[in-house]
Amino acid sequence: MSVEKQKALALSLTGSVFAGHRFANYYWVAPLALGFAVWEALTRFGVVPSKSLPTFSSVLLVFFSSIQSVTFLLRIAHSFLNLVCGLLMAFSIALPLAFAAGSKNKFDLTVTPLIMLFGALPDLSFLPLLVLWFGPGNVAAVIMASAAGFFPIYFTVREGTKNIPRELFDVTSIFKSDRLSTFTKMVLPAISPHMFSGLRLAYDFAWEIIIAIEIATRVAGIGNFIDGNVASGSLQSGFAAILAIALVAIAVDRLFFGSLESWARKWA
Amino acid sequence: MGKEVGLMENHVELDNVSKFYDAEQKLHALQEVSFGIGLGEFVSIVGPSGCGKSTLLKIIAGLDRPTSGEVRFNGGTVQGPHGKISMVFQAFGLFPWRNVLENVEYGLEMRKVSKKERRNLAEQYLEMVGLAGYEHMYPKQLSGGMRQRVGIARALAVEPEVVLMDEAFSAIDEVTAEVLREEVTDIHRQTGKTFVLVTHNLSEAIELADKVVVLSSRPAKVKKVMPVSLERPRDRTHSLFIHMHKDILHLLKEELENTLIRHKLQGIRELQSIHDIEAQGSTAKPKQPLITT
Repeated sequence: MSVEKQKALALSLTGSVFAGHRFANYYWVAPLALGFAVWEALTRFGVVPSKSLPTFSSVLLVFFSSIQSVTFLLRIAHSFLNLVCGLLMAFSIALPLAFAAGSKNKFDLTVTPLIMLFGALPDLSFLPLLVLWFGPGNVAAVIMASAAGFFPIYFTVREGTKNIPRELFDVTSIFKSDRLSTFTKMVLPAISPHMFSGLRLAYDFAWEIIIAIEIATRVAGIGNFIDGNVASGSLQSGFAAILAIALVAIAVDRLFFGSLESWARKWA
Repeated sequence: MGKEVGLMENHVELDNVSKFYDAEQKLHALQEVSFGIGLGEFVSIVGPSGCGKSTLLKIIAGLDRPTSGEVRFNGGTVQGPHGKISMVFQAFGLFPWRNVLENVEYGLEMRKVSKKERRNLAEQYLEMVGLAGYEHMYPKQLSGGMRQRVGIARALAVEPEVVLMDEAFSAIDEVTAEVLREEVTDIHRQTGKTFVLVTHNLSEAIELADKVVVLSSRPAKVKKVMPVSLERPRDRTHSLFIHMHKDILHLLKEELENTLIRHKLQGIRELQSIHDIEAQGSTAKPKQPLITT
């Protein structure tokens, strides 16, 4: 790829990430830079020993060399894949249930209390059982991620479905919409703003749980990488990994959720 | 349309339409409602609030089924939503995620009309309601009056024979509503379609209609059918207009008073029965013991 093309791509990427978004102003840059500067100074002037907190500059250096390493990237990809699988699973189970609960009162009264009961339990308390049944691996991680993502998707979609004005169902009936079109052309768009916030929450919850599981059960993802490096004293690599996760999380947040939400903002 | 009601062929006919809201037949909404709506006629339906006017309109639309009796359209029983019966909604019923054009195209889209034809028809009806140039705006960007214009264009775009309007002007400010009413009168004259309007606004009912159907309080029965013989455009200060308004108001007040008396009587009866139960309770034993051992 030519330099020009790369520049154009970078511009269009940052453009789509920040355009029309509340981050479109750059006020946040100064405090962030100040934070990094304080961090750098703390270690450099010996306020904090470097074996507890490496300097920011050394972390950056390790970060830039790490992201050129295939194993490092594969680790991130591994965690990300588990996360996406978990979310897809959560979404495909939660959506029909939430839709049914939102539209059928009896179903809601039967199912929602049960779901709330499970939601009240701390997700991670089931981890030892899952490890016992499926072994310490991807299956347990995906199931846990989907459990974490299930609740926000379920409750937001249920709420969204309940909030659809009755009149809109009359509109679909009067124009003789079939069941499928009613769902795809009325219900789905109508609940989408709720659904998007549910997905965003689910995504955040799932990241946390994935990292926790990787640390606890040694699944070969990025959480496990952080754990191993911090334990063996290479804090720079640990911090570099955290930085990488943050960047992935932000990128997905802006590119995926950002574009969904800007579509909804247009009309909602 | 100074035609005689009796001479008109009925386009829509309500034949002993009764409706209970519940299976136990306790919540009686409509009781043997019968009247005819002529081809090209504009009929207003008024009644005390909560009497079941909107339910009646929904039954005509095929959105709701009568418990007994039937609605006939062009001689055939209405079994469900009919392609030739369209509707304008009180809260406009627009899809906020669709722009003006896409909202008007919706009904045509459901009928699998080709994209090009859809666009043409939608543009044509947007023009008719004075919204040419607003195609790409979203409902949230429009005023209430403009939103209802979209609702009217959408109802007309499917080229119905009957347009039902459920409190179509109630959620709009008075001046805008007045302008819109004049435009609907024009559309009615131009297209010759049959219009049925449910409203609680008596002046609006008289201003628009060829005849006004006055319903009683729940269960709603037809209290009176009043033809409006005034020339259009109608002058609200015309003595005949004022007389009609007064007559209808009188009928509805009467209904309201009847309801109040009925409620009072019912209250007294309920008090009486509570009294009876209490009197019994002191002597008689409960029929079923609460805990059996």
